[in-house]
Amino acid sequence: MAREQLNVGDLLPLLETADLQQLDEIKGLINEHLSTERGSMLLNGLVDYVLETNSTQAMHILCSVREPHDKHLFDKMNECMARQACRLPTLNLLGQVVRKQPSWIHKIARYPLLLSLLKCLKTDTDVVVLITGVLVLVTLLPMIPQAGKQHLYEFFDVFGRLAAWNLRNPGHVSEVYLIHLHASVYSLFHRLYGMYPCNFISYLRSHYSMKENMDTFEEVVKPMLEHVRIHPELVTGTKDHELDPTRWKRFEIHDIVIECAKVSLDPREASCEEGYSTLPEHFCGQLHLRPPDCTASPYTDFLSSYGSSSSTQFSTPRQPVLPPLPLTSLSGTQPAYRSSPSSRRPNSSCEFNSIYGIKDTLWSPSSQCGMATPPSSRGMSPNPELSQSAFHLSGRFHSTPAGGKGTPCSSTPAASSPPPSLTEELPSGSLHHSTTSLTCKDGRPIDSSKPPLLRQEPIRELEKAGGEVTNHRDSATETVSMTLTELSVYMKEQEQLRMGKEREEAAITEELLQLTEEKRDPGGLRGFDSPFFHTTETLTGAQQKPPSTSTQSSLLREANNAVSTPDKTDTQVGHRGMGSRGPSQEQPWSFQPVFTPIQDPALGHVRHSPAADEEALKYNLLSPSPCKAPSLPYEALFDLALPRAASLCLGHRTSEVLERVTGESRLVDVKEAEDHATTSVSPLEVLDRLVQQGSDAHDKVLKRLPLPSKSADWTHFGGSAPLDELQTLRSQLLLLHNQLLYERYKREQHAVRNRRLLRRIINATSLEEQNNAMKDQLNLQNVDIMSLRESLQVEQQRYRQLWDDRETMVTRLHSQIRQLQQSRDDYYTKNQELQSKLLECQKRMGEMEADLQRANNKVCHTGHQLNQLTAKLSTSESTQQQLSFLSKQLLLLGEAHKLCVQELHQASPDITKEVQMLQMSYGKEVERLKQNLLLQGQKLDAAQQRVAELETQLSKKEHLIAEQKKFLEDVKCQAKEELQASDSRYHAQRCITQVLQTELLQLYSRLEIEAPTTTASASSAGNTKERCGPAETSVRVLDGSVKAVSKVAPALSQSLHGNGSISSSGQAKSVNGSHSTPPPVLVEPPPLRPHVPLGPPGPPAPSAAAPLTVGSYPSAKSFLGMRARELFRNKSESQCDEDEVLRPQLTGLSQGLKTELCVEPAVKTVPGSGSGSGSALAVAAKAAQTHGLQRAASRGEGGGACGTPARPRQQQLRIMDYNETHQEHS
Amino acid sequence: MAEDLQRNFRSAYYEKVGFRGVEEKKSLEILLKDNPLDVEKLSTFSQRFPLPSMYRMHVWKVLLGILPPHTDSHPLVARYRQEQYEDVREALKAMRFVHAATPYTELYLRMHQLENQKLMRRSELTQPGEEDEDFLAIARAMEEIVDDPVDCYWLIRCFVNQFNHKFGDSIPHLPKSLEHFLSQEDSRLLAHLKTSGSLVLLPYSLWFRRCFAGSLPESSLQRVWDKVISGSCKILVFIALEILLSYKIMLMGTSRPEAVAKFLSNLPQENTDAIVTKAIDLWHKYCGTPMHSV
Repeated sequence: MAREQLNVGDLLPLLETADLQQLDEIKGLINEHLSTERGSMLLNGLVDYVLETNSTQAMHILCSVREPHDKHLFDKMNECMARQACRLPTLNLLGQVVRKQPSWIHKIARYPLLLSLLKCLKTDTDVVVLITGVLVLVTLLPMIPQAGKQHLYEFFDVFGRLAAWNLRNPGHVSEVYLIHLHASVYSLFHRLYGMYPCNFISYLRSHYSMKENMDTFEEVVKPMLEHVRIHPELVTGTKDHELDPTRWKRFEIHDIVIECAKVSLDPREASCEEGYSTLPEHFCGQLHLRPPDCTASPYTDFLSSYGSSSSTQFSTPRQPVLPPLPLTSLSGTQPAYRSSPSSRRPNSSCEFNSIYGIKDTLWSPSSQCGMATPPSSRGMSPNPELSQSAFHLSGRFHSTPAGGKGTPCSSTPAASSPPPSLTEELPSGSLHHSTTSLTCKDGRPIDSSKPPLLRQEPIRELEKAGGEVTNHRDSATETVSMTLTELSVYMKEQEQLRMGKEREEAAITEELLQLTEEKRDPGGLRGFDSPFFHTTETLTGAQQKPPSTSTQSSLLREANNAVSTPDKTDTQVGHRGMGSRGPSQEQPWSFQPVFTPIQDPALGHVRHSPAADEEALKYNLLSPSPCKAPSLPYEALFDLALPRAASLCLGHRTSEVLERVTGESRLVDVKEAEDHATTSVSPLEVLDRLVQQGSDAHDKVLKRLPLPSKSADWTHFGGSAPLDELQTLRSQLLLLHNQLLYERYKREQHAVRNRRLLRRIINATSLEEQNNAMKDQLNLQNVDIMSLRESLQVEQQRYRQLWDDRETMVTRLHSQIRQLQQSRDDYYTKNQELQSKLLECQKRMGEMEADLQRANNKVCHTGHQLNQLTAKLSTSESTQQQLSFLSKQLLLLGEAHKLCVQELHQASPDITKEVQMLQMSYGKEVERLKQNLLLQGQKLDAAQQRVAELETQLSKKEHLIAEQKKFLEDVKCQAKEELQASDSRYHAQRCITQVLQTELLQLYSRLEIEAPTTTASASSAGNTKERCGPAETSVRVLDGSVKAVSKVAPALSQSLHGNGSISSSGQAKSVNGSHSTPPPVLVEPPPLRPHVPLGPPGPPAPSAAAPLTVGSYPSAKSFLGMRARELFRNKSESQCDEDEVLRPQLTGLSQGLKTELCVEPAVKTVPGSGSGSGSALAVAAKAAQTHGLQRAASRGEGGGACGTPARPRQQQLRIMDYNETHQEHS
Repeated sequence: MAEDLQRNFRSAYYEKVGFRGVEEKKSLEILLKDNPLDVEKLSTFSQRFPLPSMYRMHVWKVLLGILPPHTDSHPLVARYRQEQYEDVREALKAMRFVHAATPYTELYLRMHQLENQKLMRRSELTQPGEEDEDFLAIARAMEEIVDDPVDCYWLIRCFVNQFNHKFGDSIPHLPKSLEHFLSQEDSRLLAHLKTSGSLVLLPYSLWFRRCFAGSLPESSLQRVWDKVISGSCKILVFIALEILLSYKIMLMGTSRPEAVAKFLSNLPQENTDAIVTKAIDLWHKYCGTPMHSV
């Protein structure tokens, strides 16, 4: 790799080879290496090589390096910039690179190269370096608009320094450099002003407000300011806004360039396209020419021109234009398109010039562009007037040469030019004019189109020039002095002194110019073939063309018009006074280019001059002589010429030519004229002039080379040393080259812009065509509509006819219908008549039929009667026979009856009576029976009714009963519930009682325990203890079982009374109860026994015996019974023994219970018996003791005596009785 | 049918949207208008729906037989009841079982004992037995519910009698039943209770013999008793079940049976209403809603 690297490095010198193929190969090789390798070695080598040898090939390669190498390239260049020696070549290289506009160029802002460039511009003292650097910077600025903002003040500083340099000249460099420097500073000024107006103006304000800078401002900056308009940004923008990156986003590089150019008033700097630059220029011209017109009429003029143009453009101008249009559109190719505007425009402009004269400007390409793009149309709006005036001017200008040299002018280009063949006869002439003027300008583009040839040439020329510079010293000094004169009057005087020599020189320059012009013509001829022709034409020649296209006649007319207008003449007279110095001198100079081709077509020194010529051509947009034509000197010239333009020009033409041929003090006059005519001259212009003069001098020197001795020349002019001079020339050349390159770069920018505009034109034309096509369509449709309308009319007529026919037909048919209706009515009436007749007939028919029927009936009746009669007849016959038979029988019977009567009279007569009686009785009986029957029937009915009644009653009753039952049920339920409630109440009561009783018993028992012997009797003293035991046990029994208590307790209470057997509760069934109770009862009665005899004896005794056996003693035999007896005896004894207070209470209670439950209410003696029984008991107790012996005897009778013995016991007896009977029954 | 038409046609929807007891009051009023009251219907109604508190006492009285179904005899029977009460009370007073300062519950107990002939002699009065304690608990609860002492006594008496009479046999089986339902509802809890041994120690007597008297606040209790009085002792099981379920977390947390029993005996009184509601739902779920329509 390294070796290869070396090899590639070695290849570099080979780039200079002459062999094209080899060159391509080497280039390819290097490029390949560059693309594969990422290091900086090769690139550095290349840069070094370029710096060393200034090789164009290497430079080309460097300009086209790809992305990764840009950094290396910039770094390397930065490195080189640091070295004083290679600063200039580096800048050259950078300029090349920048002009090439590689895609990565915007990155430069990030690299230190930019900084070092700025530093160099701020510090360096070498003018050449400075100029080159400034040009590079100016070129670079549009490429890095937003990146440049951080360096903005450095730019301004550079500007400030260089502007000051220009004036103070610290390096004491030659004036020539200063011109160059001034021009480049001027460009920088434009660029900065165009791009950053606010910042720049503020900078200027701050910088030049200082006293020490005032002179710089006055001398340098102020003239520059005169060449710019007020930037719109100064009004609308702010400092920050113009640094805003977004502002620059929508601009391309060439847009920025044009933007900058737009604000320039300098025709060299400004763009001609948009009218900004041309506008002021022609305004100036206009103002110079006819101020009143400008102040008073512009509006009317403008309006009228526009008003008419807007109307005529589409109506009247269309018609002449339309026919060629389809042709061009049909051709369709690019050339055709290109040629169409040019061909059409002259055509139309000719027409307009001849007819309207004013409106031709409307047909400039920009106006057509304006249809498509608003900005250009806007740009157009101020234009018409101005371009028109320009038209006037140039037209006048050209009229003179054209009129004078009409034949040669048209002859030379006509032969060579292949103009659009489609154009008509009339415009062809004007077209030729345009081509001639175009060729003049287009010499430059053609050069660029053939770079291989020309590239080599200038360089060689340069070298040659370098070689020959020694010989040209004279001319150089001359030019130097020339330029200086421009600045100082002193130089003019010097020139005046050297007049004689000058003349010689002038003559030579004259020849040279002729040569160049001659040279230019072939270039122009070539230019027709080049594709650049039209593009350049539209860009740069737009302004030049309209003038050139104007025909002689129109121009003449214009001139005449101009002459005729009085105000114009007035102003122009005034202006003439100003510029009256040398109209004669001026005009020849200006007309020079036009004349030269004719004058010296056959000059021999072609070989030398082209280079310089080319240079000069390239240098300016407008080649020296024709370019100056529209410039300010020209205008001044025209100011002079205008008043009597036509006549004067025509009249002086020949004399002027003669004057110019003599060439007397031409340059001095020019200078003077310039000095007077222009207050401030554009630096570019000065530079132009310098170059021109330089080239002139060069030529002159070349010419003179053989003639004068070198030493004499040098010393004579008092110039510097030859080496110095050489150096100066060289660097000058270099500067020129730089300037040239810069201009070329600008031109390319314009070319880019041109393409864009062309595209718009194309769009516009296509749209126009579309429009036309649509119009055609519209027309066709209109025709269609017309035809349709006609057919509609025809159809309508036909329809009307048909309608009429129909009408007549209808009327006829109506009449027919009426006729038919009438006949129909007739028929109708007839028909009715016939029908009535028919009805009559039918009626008659009916009658007849009725008659017939009646007759038939009669016949039938009679037949029937006949039948009857026949039957009657037969019956009467048979009856007659029977009658006869019966009469016979009657006779017989009569005889028999007589016989019977006789016999009867003989039998008994009373039978009949009996029968009669019987019958009567029978009849009566029947009657009675019938009556009976009737009665019975009636009775039956009644009974049945009754039954029904009863049944209903029964059902009612049943229902009632059911209801009653239900109610009863209900009531029963209710009663049951109530009963239950009361039962529970009772139950509660009983419980209460029981509890009370138990409590009572407990109390008793306690009492007894407390006082066991208080009331016990002597006899029973022993028994008490005995008794106490059972008592206790009984109580305990009570406690133990509730049931037992509930049964025993009443039993006890009843048994105390002795009638426990009849307790209604039915609970006292225990063995101790009912069976054991009787004994006490029976025991007690014995005292009553004395009463027994008193009671009824006998019969009850046996009956009472049974209860006794039942109730009394069976229990006595059992142990329990014995025990109970004992117990109760004890009890009763104890009861008897116990205090009397308690006893009645208890008995009363038990009595109450007894009466309540079981005693019949009939017994009223209960209370009495209670007490009685109580006493009886007491008595009985005593008696028991007293009458112990009688016990057994009385026991038997006791039962019987129970019932009756004593009143007190009556109740008990009764109970006993009841009991007895009860038991008896059961 | 006419009655139905007179009733609010929206009644069918009330329950759907969650209003309970809007129509029940009305239907109960209709029921109470019958002259011989239909005790069957009343008990079905009481089982199905919560009783409005204004009719609760009346319904209870009817259901417990304190008042007969015949409205006409109500005053009479009421008078009887009162007289009986007075008698018994006077008797007790006379016997000095009670005096003026004796708490009503004791009075009720004595009266009950007296009426059931279980009253001991005064000298032999012992500490109240388990049955007496149950009675006292119920009496205390009832005393809170009812203001009138006569009614209160009768309600307690009849409630206890009816409960013992009706469910005396089934009460011993209720723990089994509880276990069964618990296994269906939450077998994990049951398992836990079983393993921890708390199942046997649950306060069954409190729940099933005292019918939650003293365990639940009266407001909740009377809803439970509605069901018991109307003839279902199963509700007790579900109340118990629901209590267990509600305090499941607590129960699962403790494994000591004594703690469980203690906790369950002293339940927090906060959300017993919800428990009862849920229990009734559960009861309806398992035992079905009594279908005797009103």
